[in-house]
Amino acid sequence: MAVESPTKPTIADKIYDKMFHNYVWKSIFRTGYPNTPRNQMLVVATNVFLHLHPTRIHRTHVKITHTYCLGGLSFFMFLGLTVTGILLMFYYVPSVDRAYLDMQNITTTVQFGQLMRNLHRWMAHAMVILVFLHMMRVFYTGAYKPPREFNWIVGVILLVLTFLLSFTGYLLPWDQLAFWAITVGTNIAGSAPVLGPKTRFWLLGGFEVGPQSLIRFYTLHVIGLPLLAAIFMAVHFWRIRRDGGLARPL
Amino acid sequence: MATAVVARPVARPQARARDEEVLVWPDLVFVEFIAAMVFTITLFFLSVVINAPLLDQANADVTPNPSKAPWYLLNLQELLLHMNPAMAGIIIPTVWLIILGAFPYFDRETDGQGAWFSTEGSVKITIVAGIVGFVGTWLLILWDSGKIAFLLHDWFKWSGGDQLRFLENVRSMQSQLPWPDWSRDITYLPFNLRILDGSGSGGPTTFQHLDFPGWLVEQAIPIVALMGLPCMMIYIMWRMGWVVNRRDALLALFSGFVTAYGVLTLTGTAFRGQGQELVFPWELKVSEGIPGQEPGH
Repeated sequence: MAVESPTKPTIADKIYDKMFHNYVWKSIFRTGYPNTPRNQMLVVATNVFLHLHPTRIHRTHVKITHTYCLGGLSFFMFLGLTVTGILLMFYYVPSVDRAYLDMQNITTTVQFGQLMRNLHRWMAHAMVILVFLHMMRVFYTGAYKPPREFNWIVGVILLVLTFLLSFTGYLLPWDQLAFWAITVGTNIAGSAPVLGPKTRFWLLGGFEVGPQSLIRFYTLHVIGLPLLAAIFMAVHFWRIRRDGGLARPL
Repeated sequence: MATAVVARPVARPQARARDEEVLVWPDLVFVEFIAAMVFTITLFFLSVVINAPLLDQANADVTPNPSKAPWYLLNLQELLLHMNPAMAGIIIPTVWLIILGAFPYFDRETDGQGAWFSTEGSVKITIVAGIVGFVGTWLLILWDSGKIAFLLHDWFKWSGGDQLRFLENVRSMQSQLPWPDWSRDITYLPFNLRILDGSGSGGPTTFQHLDFPGWLVEQAIPIVALMGLPCMMIYIMWRMGWVVNRRDALLALFSGFVTAYGVLTLTGTAFRGQGQELVFPWELKVSEGIPGQEPGH
């Protein structure tokens, strides 16, 4: 009768052991490799980024056709826009004298500058479309119904913030497209009854698009509105969990 | 044993069906990762192939014709061509956003959630309301730009004569009907209410005047159309037995909105040429503009 004896650890096992079972690694990642259900739940529960998720989810919600990942992808676009936006900020000065020259610089002399600018623009368009499609998904799956009423409102606010983020970014290249689009856009805002002219003046920092408008739009675009959006997104994600996760038939 | 009487069903946390659940890692995280990768690769590819536009440096003296807002605002710019600017640009979008936010407070039933088109007749309502919004918006745009009258005149040699000229578009109701002089100047306020305006012009004895034909064309007719047509659609669907509850009414309203919004955005983007004339996309040209000329809408 053959007796099973433990196999001798190979060189790979030893390297693996040295890399992942040492004191430093374990201080960063407290759970083991997620190859058992226990560790798989722990890795979600103990990681600050992953713990936006619950540890378990209903079978129907991982089907791609249920959500098409639209909400998650909107957030992913926001993250991508933050990264490319920060890179662009290194080269861009929001002054009427510099802005257009900096744009030319970014697209011609900066390494990967054109790529970063393209990514930033197409991601911004993608985000507007994705947020709108996400709203349609939530509506047609009836996911706004109780108890998720308030999160639907937060979503509508985030839709508006997405539009505003995109709109404020539109002026920054300081080319003809930017200038006249913002002129037309702020004229629309200026037509509001009673508060319109005041709003327009407040947005532009004057009676027409000029240096003050550029710095206002820039500040709103790179810090004011992203902060606001981040706060509402935090509420949005938190409420998804608090309201019982994704909606499913009762 | 005492029984609690509940006035209306309260949303209770759902009982968790553990055996129906999967682990987020790996089942969901994997899907999210793939979706993120697909988008990253697609957008990188797009960015390599298509450059973001950069025109000449901004110049307040050179107005491009047409001057357009960013594409997601072109639906509002399209509305501006048909009605009072305050209504098109501010009041309608604000009111619509409030209505949109109020959806879950109007439709409080919890059934029909968590699955696509799960209520009876929802697909039918969505498709028909979508078509109504699509066709209706196009017809309204074509009519108001005078294209329908033009086609009727050109193809059938019929313009309705001068008596029917006022039906050409909404503006000709103002210009082609024999409005009496007094109707263009109706005193309706015995004092000036421009307190919030801050301009300080006009004392307490200034009178407000109403241009009735202008008010009719710029405000009354658009409001009646924008509120009346969706209400009429929902009412007809209700009489037909399609719309039976609030969810169905919202389905009709929202689906009509989505296609109308799409048509307005598309028209503003691809079908509005110089001077905001309605043209085909392949005829759309942008001129450098005339120095010193403000964009009109």
